Amino acid sequence: MFFRLIIARLVDLIFVLVSVSVVVFFMIRLIPGDAVAIMLGANTEVTPERMAGLRARLGLDQPVVQQYLAWIDAALSGDFGTSLWTGRPVLDEIAVHVWPTLQLTLLSLLIGAGLAVPAGCLMAELRGRLADAIMRVATVVGLTIPSFWLGIVMILVIAALAPSVQALGYVAFSDDPLDNVARLLLPAVTLALPILANLSRLLRSAMLDALTQDYIRTARAKGATERSVVYVHALRNALIPFVTSVGIMTGYLLGGAIVVEQVFAIPGLGRLILGAIAERNYPLLQATILLVTCGFVVVNFVVDMLYLAIDPRVRA
Amino acid sequence: MVRNALRSIMVAGALALPVHAASAQTLELGIDQSPAGLDPHIVTAFSSFMVVNGTIYEGLTAIDKDLRIGPGLAESWTVSPDGKTYVFRLRRGVTFHNGAPMEAADVVASLKRTLAKEIASPLATRLAAVESIAASDAQTAEVKLKEPSAPLLTSLATIAIVPRAFESDKDSLQRQPVGTGPFKFKEWQPNSFIVLARHEGYWRQSLPKLDGVKFNIVPESATRQVGLASGQYAMLPNIDAATALQLKGKPNLRLQETLELAYSLIGLNVSKPPFNDPRVREAVNLALDRQEIIQAALFGAGVPGGPLSPALRDWAVDVNEFPCYGRNPAKAMELLKAAGHAQPIAVTMTVLPRQDIKDIAQVVQQQLNKAGFRVELKTPELGQFIQDWRNSNFDLFASTNAGSPDPDDYFYRTFRTGGSTNVFKYSNPEIDSLLDTARATVDAAARKASYAKVQRVLACEGPVVHLAYAQLFSALRGNVQGFEIIANRSLSSLVSVSVAR
Repeated sequence: MFFRLIIARLVDLIFVLVSVSVVVFFMIRLIPGDAVAIMLGANTEVTPERMAGLRARLGLDQPVVQQYLAWIDAALSGDFGTSLWTGRPVLDEIAVHVWPTLQLTLLSLLIGAGLAVPAGCLMAELRGRLADAIMRVATVVGLTIPSFWLGIVMILVIAALAPSVQALGYVAFSDDPLDNVARLLLPAVTLALPILANLSRLLRSAMLDALTQDYIRTARAKGATERSVVYVHALRNALIPFVTSVGIMTGYLLGGAIVVEQVFAIPGLGRLILGAIAERNYPLLQATILLVTCGFVVVNFVVDMLYLAIDPRVRA
Repeated sequence: MVRNALRSIMVAGALALPVHAASAQTLELGIDQSPAGLDPHIVTAFSSFMVVNGTIYEGLTAIDKDLRIGPGLAESWTVSPDGKTYVFRLRRGVTFHNGAPMEAADVVASLKRTLAKEIASPLATRLAAVESIAASDAQTAEVKLKEPSAPLLTSLATIAIVPRAFESDKDSLQRQPVGTGPFKFKEWQPNSFIVLARHEGYWRQSLPKLDGVKFNIVPESATRQVGLASGQYAMLPNIDAATALQLKGKPNLRLQETLELAYSLIGLNVSKPPFNDPRVREAVNLALDRQEIIQAALFGAGVPGGPLSPALRDWAVDVNEFPCYGRNPAKAMELLKAAGHAQPIAVTMTVLPRQDIKDIAQVVQQQLNKAGFRVELKTPELGQFIQDWRNSNFDLFASTNAGSPDPDDYFYRTFRTGGSTNVFKYSNPEIDSLLDTARATVDAAARKASYAKVQRVLACEGPVVHLAYAQLFSALRGNVQGFEIIANRSLSSLVSVSVAR
């Protein structure tokens, strides 16, 4: 069972990666204005010969299909090329940007999903009461506040309350672990709030669903306490849609949180991708999208594994 | 277990918050954009220029805060009577960041690198007149021209001198710049920061005063402002009026301002109706109220401009001398009628996707619509805009242009028949001959007379309707001393900046 799943996922991964590589490669070239045009900008003195020269220098003068074959050939042997702009190896650029994104993903999931479990259960337990209604309104607020606004407000509030705090930018974990986490807290909370709102609503309705099932009545009949009915019997079943949802969110978070990265000046994958699109930095964009795709597929695989752990029926 | 770990991380984070102010003698700057590379011969965008010009790199000549040309790495120079041979005496005791002394061979290599086909430098055309470059001895470089070129000294200020070894190395400088400037490159974390450190062997005695400069790349304007207000950044260089207004009057902050070299403009395609008729172009000028544009879109921080920035005091003709600069919609409509166009004339204006230009375009649209036009705005993505611009695929467009300290740089390529950025397809034999003459004239007064004529012609019937020159601001913490804002956005005065404790 386990091995079949792994093999199925591997086949998925290869299929997805190949199609994504083709789509990304040709799509970005469909955007008008190539890297050379952007590099030279408007209003610099440029002759057609200079443009052709620069294009040749970057290898953009070849037919597109040929460019793709050359790229995929090199990529298969682990060479993803160099950034058109800085000349650095693409993998180096990605390596720098992947850590902030991984940390931010982990931290915001810990906060968001971690708090969503007790919050969702509490709302289910208090269903119909005033406290439940207030919490539900709060989740709607949490879902609808745009993160760029929330981020800026948090920065302003911190600046007003504690002007000496240096909350902006990113410090590598290896340079200063405490400062690293300190500076990631605000952006992680900004990211976590909609996650918390979304997941706790989801968990609440899944719990309400579960609480009407026969086995809950049985549990109550055998004398289980209300607490154990909610947190053990019902929660375990309600976790399946929850885990699916966390999986999808993780996939998105791993692709970088552009808005939050912009606001807090964090050098994550979101800004890398956005910059690569704006600059028409083809090799960088292709490799980054492939990596993010890989992340998505791997997360899906992990979610499948979690189903196995949560739901015995899947194991059969 | 997990919860405990989480708790200790949070506590640790909370404890870490109030610690350390930045080390006092590294100047922290907040800038909005990652540079697209640091090779001064390849990337000329503002985002790169600001980081490298006068900080990492220097040229043979230098531009001071009044935009005048003075000695740089060349201590002095002589020009032959026919204006075709320049001999530069190089400064002694200049070393590169790699420790090697700067000699004439490096100057020769740098100019050749700029001209080389493999490097494909956009600056190459600034040296188009150069016939040969040679080192007479270690301290003397000789540049021979095909024809006299008055703007040469200005152009040389923008061409960085790099070690000779890079002449054939096209890639390394992009990420590992080496120059002679007061600061040497230390580290670049893409999308995060660029750190420069003091160049111990700098040729000017006891400069720079700072130990280093850190450019923090912070894309969000509100974040930069908070960072400055809270003291995390000591300076926001080259910001626009909208940002400056929000920082005005905050405690411990100072603003410096200067009139910008860059300007906003409306470009007209003269290769097709309606703008092929000079009367229609004059009508556009008459339809506009530049003061209103400045009030509405630039927060009042700017001045109406002609073809040259009023910041170029030696060159610019006063806008009050241009007859078409007072608003007169009735006369504009008369001209349109005389040109044989049924009103309103429907045209599409392509707008550069930048906030200030979008604001300006909307005001222009309203003003033109009241004077016989029906303007539709189109704001494409930047790459599309550049492509349309380069292919002359527009009726009219709204954009901005960097400007240059020497009139030739802008005028010749933009308004000369067949000029490399003459996307308007403008051709006027009178202008052509004036530009040719002015380029070959070394006498300043004679050049000035030629360019004054050029400005008078271009102001009303040229293919470019010049709108306004904005104020450029830099915001500094109160304890930052010695900085001087320069209209071309160079941060070369960082060399004399210090931070009081």
